[in-house]
Order: sequence, then C-alpha cells, then structure tokens
Amino acid sequence: MIAGLPLSFAEPFLLLGLLSLPVLWWLLRVMPPRPQRIEFPPTRLLFDIALKEETPARTPWWLTLLRLLAAALVILAAAGPIWNPQTGLAGSSVPLVILLDDGWSAAANWDVRIKAADELIANADNDRRGVALVPLSEPARDITVMPGGTARVALRQLAPKPYSVERVETLPAIEHFLKVTGDCEIAWLTDGVDTGRGGEFLEGLSKTIGNRALTIFEGGTPSTLALVAAENAAAKMTVKVLRTDGGVAAGVVRALDQKNSPIGEAHYSFGPQDRETEAAFDLPVELRNDIARLEISGERSAGAVQLLDKRWRRRAIGVVSGSSSDTAQPLLASTFYLTRALAPFADVRLGDRGAPQQVIAQFLDQKLPMMVLADVGTLSPEIRESINAWIEQGGVLVRFAGPRLAQGDDDLVPVKLRSGGRSLGGSLTWEKPQHLAAFAAEGPFAGLAVPKDVTVNRQVLAEPDAALATRSWASLEDGTPLVTGEHRGKGVVSLFHVSADMRWSDLPMSGTFVEMLRRIVDMSGYTSKPGAGVASEATAETVAPLHTLDGFGTFGPPPSTAKPLPADFRDRATPDHPPGFYGPADGPLAVNTLAAADRIAPLDTTNLRARRASYTNAEPRDLRGILLSASLALFLIDAVVVALLGAGIAVLLRRRAAPAALALALVLAALLAAPSPSFADDKDDFAIKATSQTRLAYVVTGNADVDSIVKAGMAGLTLFLAQRTALEAGDPVGVDPAHDELAFFPLIYWPVAPGAAKPPQDAINRIDAYMKQGGTVLFDTRDAIEAPPGEDGASQTPGMLALRNILSSLDVPELEPVPREHVLTKTFYLLRDFPGRFTNGQTWVETLPRGDDDDDASHPARGGDGVSPILITSNDLAGAWALRPDGQPMLPLTPGEPRQREFAFRAGVNIVMYTLTGNYKADQVHAPALIERLGQ
Amino acid sequence: MAAETKHATGEIAAIRRADGESRSLAASLPRLVLEARRIAANVVHGLHGRRRAGAGESFWQYRRFVSGEPAQSVDWRRSARDDHLYVREQEWEASHTVWLWPDRSPSMAFASLQSRDSKLERTLIVAFALAELLVAGGERVGIPGLMNPTASRSVIDKMAQAMLHDDAARLSLPPSFVPSALAEIVVLSDFWSPIPAIRNMLAGLSASGAHGTLVQIVDPAEESFPYSGRVEFVEPEGAGAITAGRAEKWTDDYVARVALHRDEIRNETSRLDWLFSTHTTNRSAAELLLFLHSGMMVSKASARTATVKAGRSA
Repeated sequence: MIAGLPLSFAEPFLLLGLLSLPVLWWLLRVMPPRPQRIEFPPTRLLFDIALKEETPARTPWWLTLLRLLAAALVILAAAGPIWNPQTGLAGSSVPLVILLDDGWSAAANWDVRIKAADELIANADNDRRGVALVPLSEPARDITVMPGGTARVALRQLAPKPYSVERVETLPAIEHFLKVTGDCEIAWLTDGVDTGRGGEFLEGLSKTIGNRALTIFEGGTPSTLALVAAENAAAKMTVKVLRTDGGVAAGVVRALDQKNSPIGEAHYSFGPQDRETEAAFDLPVELRNDIARLEISGERSAGAVQLLDKRWRRRAIGVVSGSSSDTAQPLLASTFYLTRALAPFADVRLGDRGAPQQVIAQFLDQKLPMMVLADVGTLSPEIRESINAWIEQGGVLVRFAGPRLAQGDDDLVPVKLRSGGRSLGGSLTWEKPQHLAAFAAEGPFAGLAVPKDVTVNRQVLAEPDAALATRSWASLEDGTPLVTGEHRGKGVVSLFHVSADMRWSDLPMSGTFVEMLRRIVDMSGYTSKPGAGVASEATAETVAPLHTLDGFGTFGPPPSTAKPLPADFRDRATPDHPPGFYGPADGPLAVNTLAAADRIAPLDTTNLRARRASYTNAEPRDLRGILLSASLALFLIDAVVVALLGAGIAVLLRRRAAPAALALALVLAALLAAPSPSFADDKDDFAIKATSQTRLAYVVTGNADVDSIVKAGMAGLTLFLAQRTALEAGDPVGVDPAHDELAFFPLIYWPVAPGAAKPPQDAINRIDAYMKQGGTVLFDTRDAIEAPPGEDGASQTPGMLALRNILSSLDVPELEPVPREHVLTKTFYLLRDFPGRFTNGQTWVETLPRGDDDDDASHPARGGDGVSPILITSNDLAGAWALRPDGQPMLPLTPGEPRQREFAFRAGVNIVMYTLTGNYKADQVHAPALIERLGQ
Repeated sequence: MAAETKHATGEIAAIRRADGESRSLAASLPRLVLEARRIAANVVHGLHGRRRAGAGESFWQYRRFVSGEPAQSVDWRRSARDDHLYVREQEWEASHTVWLWPDRSPSMAFASLQSRDSKLERTLIVAFALAELLVAGGERVGIPGLMNPTASRSVIDKMAQAMLHDDAARLSLPPSFVPSALAEIVVLSDFWSPIPAIRNMLAGLSASGAHGTLVQIVDPAEESFPYSGRVEFVEPEGAGAITAGRAEKWTDDYVARVALHRDEIRNETSRLDWLFSTHTTNRSAAELLLFLHSGMMVSKASARTATVKAGRSA
C-alpha cells in the first residue's frame, strides 16, 4: 500500500526502471526530427556557404515529454499496479473479534462496512479461525465465536439502528467475552462519529483488550451528515446540517409532505472548517406547513431525516381593525401592537384594505384558524352567522374592546357586556387605574407570572352573572374581568376588555401581552381544516407508534420493540422509541433520531494503540491494462506527430491558421450575435431615450386622429413649459401600457376615446403598479361638450362610459372634484379651474385626507402625502395645447374666450409641476408665516 | 518524369495567364519608339522602317529580271510559275531586331509565400508585354532558338504558340547564336547559374557587337532567406540538396553570397557595356517594363549614368 492511496504493486522493484527515464530523456533530446523540405532555386549558392556547426535541432519539449510519459507508463504497468488491494488481517490463528458500529451514523456507508467485515470473515475463514461478531448497539447480545460461514450469515442479518448508539454500554459484554476467550485479534469497524460518550468507550476499550492486537477501520468514506433543529421561522423554514469532518462540501435538503411527495429543495454548503451549516426553505407558509419530512438528498441514514409534526406549523392569524384611518399614525394603531406581539410565532395577515366586514368575510374564505378583531363594532347578521359557524368548527376569535365595541352589541363575546365603558383615574371618577390581579387557574393563562406594572385606565364591563367567574381568564385587582373566554363548539371566543392600543391600558406594551396571545394562539388549530382545534386534544395520553424509520431513514411498520410514548414526548429517539410518527394519522407526533441541541463530533482514535486500515470501497483492480493501453495511445500520438511534424502539418497550420482563425471568429461572432434579437435592443433604446431627459408621455390609442392631436398637444405643452418654467423636457413619448415600461415618466396623458376597449389584464396590472409606485395618469375623455344636460350629465358622456370600463379593474382611490385649496391649483400658477378646449368639464383628483378638526379656512393649500395617482378631466386639454408646425393652434376652443388657451396651458403647467414637485407648494404657502415668526 | 509534367503544366498555365496580363500591361505604356542608336550617324539609314527594297533579311517583293544581273539572283521557284524571270528583293533592313529570352527553366517556377506570382509568370508577362510594345514601335522581336524575328501585330500569340509547342529542354540561359551587330538582346532569368556559364553566354552574344540587358528576376524569399529550423534545400534543376540545421543562422551568409554573385555578373556586363538589373516579384511588373522601356529609349551611354533601376537591384 502506498500512503494515502489504495494502490500497491505486485513487483515494486521494477519501479527502479523509472530511474532510466533521465537517460531516455537525453537520448530523445538528441535525435533530430525530419527536416522540412523546400525547393529553393539558389541552392547552388548555399553550397558555397561554409558549413555551419551542424547541431541537431531539438525535439520539441512536449514531444519528449510525451515519449517519456509513454515510457514511464510502460514501466509502471510492468510493475503490476493494483488499485484497492485486498486488506485482510492475516498471519494469525487466534479467533477474530469484529466490533461493528451500527448506530444511525453507520447507515450511510453501511454497505462499505459490511463488505469490509465480509472480507475479514472470508480471510479468517481461509485461515480456519473462529469469528465473533459484536454489533455495538446490542449490549445484551451474547457474544460467541462462530465459524466463518455462520458469522457471514449473522452479518447479513445486521441492520443499522435508527437511533444513537452508545458503544460504551456494550463494553461489559466484550470484557466478559475476552476474559473467557483469552487471546484473540480484534478488528473495529468504526463509523468515526462520536455522539457523546466516545472518549469513555475508547478508554474502556484500551483497558479491556490489554495487549491484544487491534485494527481500526476508519476513513475512506464520505463524511457522515445529520439534520437537527428544524425551525419554521417567520420567513422561511431552516434546518441545521451537521457533519463530522472538514473540507468544502455542498448538497441539497429535500422537503417532503405527509405522502412523500416533494415540496421543495434547499441547498446547503459547508465552509472549509465548518461542522454545521444551515439550509433554508424559502416557501409560502402554507407549503411549509405541509412539510412532514426533511432529508439530506443522497444520505441514507435515520440521522439525515428530520420529521416534523404540527408543532412546526405556523398559524396564519387575521387581524381586523375597526378604526378606518389607522394609517395616519401607524405606530400608535392597535394593529401595530398586535402584529408585533403575534409575529414571533404566527403569520399575521392584516386586514387594512377595505371595510372590516369585507376583510372578515375574506379571512373566513381563507379559512384562517384564528382571527383578532380589534375594536370592531357592529357586524351584519350574515357575517355574524358565518363567524359563529366558523367558531363552531374550531375557529378562535379574539376581540379587543374599544369605543366601537363599547357601543355595539352582539353575541360574539363570551360574556354579556354593559354598554358604555368605564374610565378609571379620570377627573370624574374616584377609582385609581387598576393593576392586573390574577390569571384564572383553569384558563389558558394559568401559570403566567402576573406583571406588576400593567395598569388599566378604561375598560368595558361585563354584566355580572353566575357564569362570569368561570369565563374570566384574567381579572383586575377589583375583581372585574380583564380577559374573558368561552369554548363554543370546537372553537373559542375570547374578549380582552381593553383596547389593543395604548389608549385604555398599557397591557399591549408588556411582555405578558405576548405570552397571553401565545397561549391563545396555541389553542387554535394549525391549518385551515375545520376540526383541528384545541378542544379535542387530550393532555397526558400516550400515543402508539404509527410508522417508524429504520436505520437507513426509510419508513416502515413499527418494530415489535417500539413502545407507545406520552403525547408530550420531546426527547430524541431511543431503542424503545425509534424515530417516526406516533399517534393518530391526521395529527401525528414526530420523534427524531437527534434532538435539536444534539451535535456530532468525529471520533478521535489517535490515542488508541492500534493498526489503522481504511475502508476500501471497491474491488481490487489490476491497472496494467489501462496503463499499457494509455502508453500505446501515447506512442500512436507520437507517431502521428512525428509523421506530420516534418512538413505537412506545419505548412498546413501556417498557411491555414490565419483564415481559419478568421472564419472561426466570424462564426463565433455570428453565434454570439444571433441570440440577441433586436427586441432587446429596442427595449434598451426605449429606456435610454425615456430616461436621458424628462419626458411627458401619452398613451397611444391607435386612433390616428386622436394620436396626432395628442402628440401635437404634448409637444405644445413641452414647448410652453420650456418657455415659462425651468423644465425643459424632451420630446413627448407615446407609450403602449401593454408593452412599454411606464416607470420612467412622471405623467402619462391618457386620451379616452369613446367606446375604447378595456386594455388587456397585463396592461391593467402595469398601470396599477405605475400608479401605486407614484406615477400619475391623467385621463381625458375629451367630450365635455357632449355631456347631456342634467344633474349628472357629465358622467354620462360616451368617453366617461369608456373610462369607467377601463377603471373598473383598477384600484382607484376615492375621488373628488379638485377643491379650491388643493395644491394642484397653486403649484405654478394660481388657478381656479382647469380649462381645455372646453371649460365645463370637471377635473377629479384623489380625495385628500380631511382631518376631523381642520377647518378649510386655516389651510390655504392642502396636499396629501403623495401625488394623486389619477386625474380625470373631460376638457380635452391636449386639444387646447396642440399647435401646428407653424406655431398656430390646431383646434378652435369652445366657448373661445381670448384667454382660454392661455389658461389651458397654465392648467397643463400646474399639472406637470404637481406631478414633479408633489405637495411642496402646500408647504411653501406657509413661508410668509414662518418668516414673520423669525422676526423679519 | 512526374516533376517534369508538373512543370510543363505549370508553364502552360503561366503562359496563358501572361498572355492576358501582358496585353493590358503593354497597353498602359506609350508606344515604344526605339532609337536606332547605332545607325544614327548613318544619314542614309535615318530612322528604320525604309519600306523599300534594299539590303535586308526579309522578303520585300519580286521584280522582273533585268538583263545584266547575275543569274544567281533569279528566284527560280517564282519564275517557274510563268514565262518571266523574277528576282526576289529583300526589304532594305534598317529596323532593329530585339531578341528576348524568357527563362523557362524549372527553377523559375518557384514562388514563396510572400509573392503573388511565380518568377516564371512574371518573366513571361514582362517578355510578352515588351514584345507587344516593341512590335507596335516597328521593331521585330524574336526568341533565340524558338521563334524567328517577326514584326507581326499578333506577336504575343506567336510567342505563346511557339512556347506551347516547344518540346526542347528548358534552358536557363539563351543558346549561343550570333545576332546581328544591331540587335538588342534582353535576357530575363534568375541568373542562379554559375558565373562561368553566364560569362560564356555573354561572350557569345556580344561577340558580334550586339548589346543587351540582363534582368535578374528573383523571388523575395531568395532575397531575404526567411527560413528557420531544420530545412533541407533542394535545387529544382537537380543540382543537389543541402540540409541546414538552423536555417536562420544562414541568412547573413546567404545575403552576402547573393550580393557577391550579383557583383560578379555586374562586372561582366559593365565590361561589355551591357545593362544589368534585378527585379523582385513582389514589386509590380509595370516597374520592370518601364525600366526596360526607358533603357531602350535613351542611348546606351546615358542609361549608364542615369541610375534607372527596377525594383531592388543589388
């Protein structure tokens, strides 16, 4: 054997022939190659040139190397190399004791280990030695010396155990056996993994065997891998991958569901020295909740499998707030406290879009297991009914009090409430703010520490009745309930008598709040399936094994030795409780080979006085054939090279090199150029054109008349802007919302032709995204003059109908006619209205948030937080802006007052400035007051 | 045998090509009016092309026998046709005969990678073009040993035909013949023959007092010797072979040897008052033709002082 390599030679002394290589090298260097033959007319003159010293031209070094390599291969082949030579223990006649590691960590390379053992037994059998086979997982097994044949049968019956094996437990049996047997030779086939008490075993072993010969088989196999500590975190599921030795390695962890169908894969990679790394599954929570089994792809052992049960699932909790304009002060809103309190252990879905009723209906459709209603007042009877049905099926409803709840009255609370709230510590009350007193012993909060610092200023009160005491889960010092709850059907209804924000109490800021919510969340079901609620779960019952893992990590029926375990079993697997699923098939309990905190270490056997051997994972292989044929191939190459070197190839290469390289380059260039069709260039061109300058954009309708007018109009406005303002925009761009990127433009003018078709969904999505990301679309129906007379005639024009069709699938905010104090009227010119070709059309803009106590007079200008994403007019602004090439207006105006066109342009300037500067002008109007305040 | 066949087919191709190219080349030069230098002093002769009977080599006319003339002047073949006796009169020969010798030996087929034409092609192109110009100027052109002097307008065709049907051995140097004293001789060859052979040729041709020009046509590779590594050089005309272990080391010696060879040739020519020049095939053929043209236009004496050279001359 050669150190490090499983390679040996039958006749190693022949390797001395390698010493002849330098001589061969010298000889080869001296031999000249065939000269190049050239017909040269003035050769007669060359005869006259004094003969130069004729040094033989050198053979090219690579040719020499080629020949040397071929010669070396021949010599090596003659020495009879063998790959993976047989490694049997031989030359002794005492019995052979084989210690075999057969814990989960041995499973991955089990075949290699069995093969090594088989070889050992075969060799011992040849020498007529007895064999004792000792699997280290079975301390109780009787150790006997068997003839080789019997030992082989016994070996075949061994299988790796799916749990961690402590070798030290088998030590007494070994000691007893050795004492009886006397002299013997010991071979230990180790898996190289220390699961805790490895050092102890090594010490004991060296004491036990005394001076008997010991051979340790180790190394030569890939590192053992294991999975521990799967965790379903907020954003992803993570699992730790462990291994025993260093080096760079990477692999894949697969996630499977209950039925063994794959859900996802995650890559992991080890740094050079790492023994532990992490794999993360970035999947939607619904998918993550379906994961029942994680396994390292390609690693066949129970330790490389991590089973997950419902404890690893994340619940989705719907939070609905009754107050509508929470977003004004998001950090003080009740949803903020609830989200922060729930996020560590559940996925919170906020219902902040839309009315509470709709959101609740939506959550019910999503079959969430738990809902939190923060100060939601009256609900419609249909919603109430469906909530009730949902609770009966196992839903958990948590409500928080608040002004609206205090006024409302419904049956979705556990106790009957007095209407109106109670304030404590106010100027008109004589009671001090109350502290939290106790948690009910039967309630879900039993055992929580009572915080001293929580005070309650205001609450809703329950009507006292007989059931109140049993339903109250937490109470204040004066005995009034703070939290009440009740089981209804399979579900739970619970009420916090305070609000979820800081107005009524400081409970939402305390850690107790988080713990309380966690307890309630624990009561809820895990999935959307009805009936998975808590109420059905019994506590201290035992669960029987359902199906268990074998040592290789595959499921099978539980072995007869597997015993039921308590439902709250959290430990690692043991011989009595093999890893697998226990309990009912629909909600089993997972038991894993390794607990979350377990780590594996390499077994350090260096202190043990022993022979070392490596697992050879292949048949011995005679390498002579390969070496000889390789050498023959090299000689063939050499022959071809020599034949061609003289003239042929050299000339060919020299003559053809340049054109060939050129042709190759051309072909390559063509290939490279081919897959970049002009489409991508077009896109880039568009983006470069759109972003190199600020440009106004308009939507191309496809109607040539309209498009030419709009184009001229936008050009006219651009010109006007350049003349009057600092904005010197580039030429306007016509865009197609279905294909072009819209994000480059601050304002898109959209002329709506009567009867225009609704854009495709793709375009709608792009427009929606554009508007959400801060862009502004100016819709112009251009038909104010066609409005039929009447109250709402303006909204009945054909253009308006087409616009309504377009907007029906867009998320359009609430609109209002531009109010007098809107910042749009002040961004550049002071305007009262926004005329175009017509003056009677109304201009609509997003409704400004209107504070309750604001009076309009105190605010000369108001702007929202952003720019209105949508402006709607019917005045045909572009028609008024449109100029002919000679600078004259393109279209007449109606009614045609002299200054109407000027005002139309000014309206355009204000709109463009509004989209570019936002609410800046709204702040500017305060400047005089500010300057005055500075003492000027 | 195979090599000869190859050379023969190569020569045919070269002649065909030269046939075409030489015409366009000749058309680009002005009519070559050759000065009859030697007979300039002779008032009687003046310009050549007398167009009347007199002492000359070619047939002019038959005229009636006048009594009193010597009987041997009667042309009996003509007289046998009718009843009169006729005398064959020759044209009064005052024109030049220009003997051209394009070297068509195997060594001329050489073309290195740097050059467009082989030496043979270049030689034929220039010879044909020169012949065309000379004929247009009223001269008679011949190839020694191959074609008698002719003033035919289709001189290129005649030369080409003569070459195509020539089955004699291809010699490097013109065979020895005795041109008239007024004849002009132009030898286009690579002149890689040994100096004694060249000296013999010159002695033979100039014995009658004729004058001429030697143009050495060489390939650029023969000038610069761009070879390296182990090369076996083979003389195409069977004069042997030599192997250079490192050809790049021979370059300097070779260049010096070529210069020496040319000096020797030049010594011979200047002694005989002939012209000698060299032409490299990577230069244009028109350059060489211009040189030959102007070399014949001016008088011999002035040509030597005027350093008109074609291409790189050593």
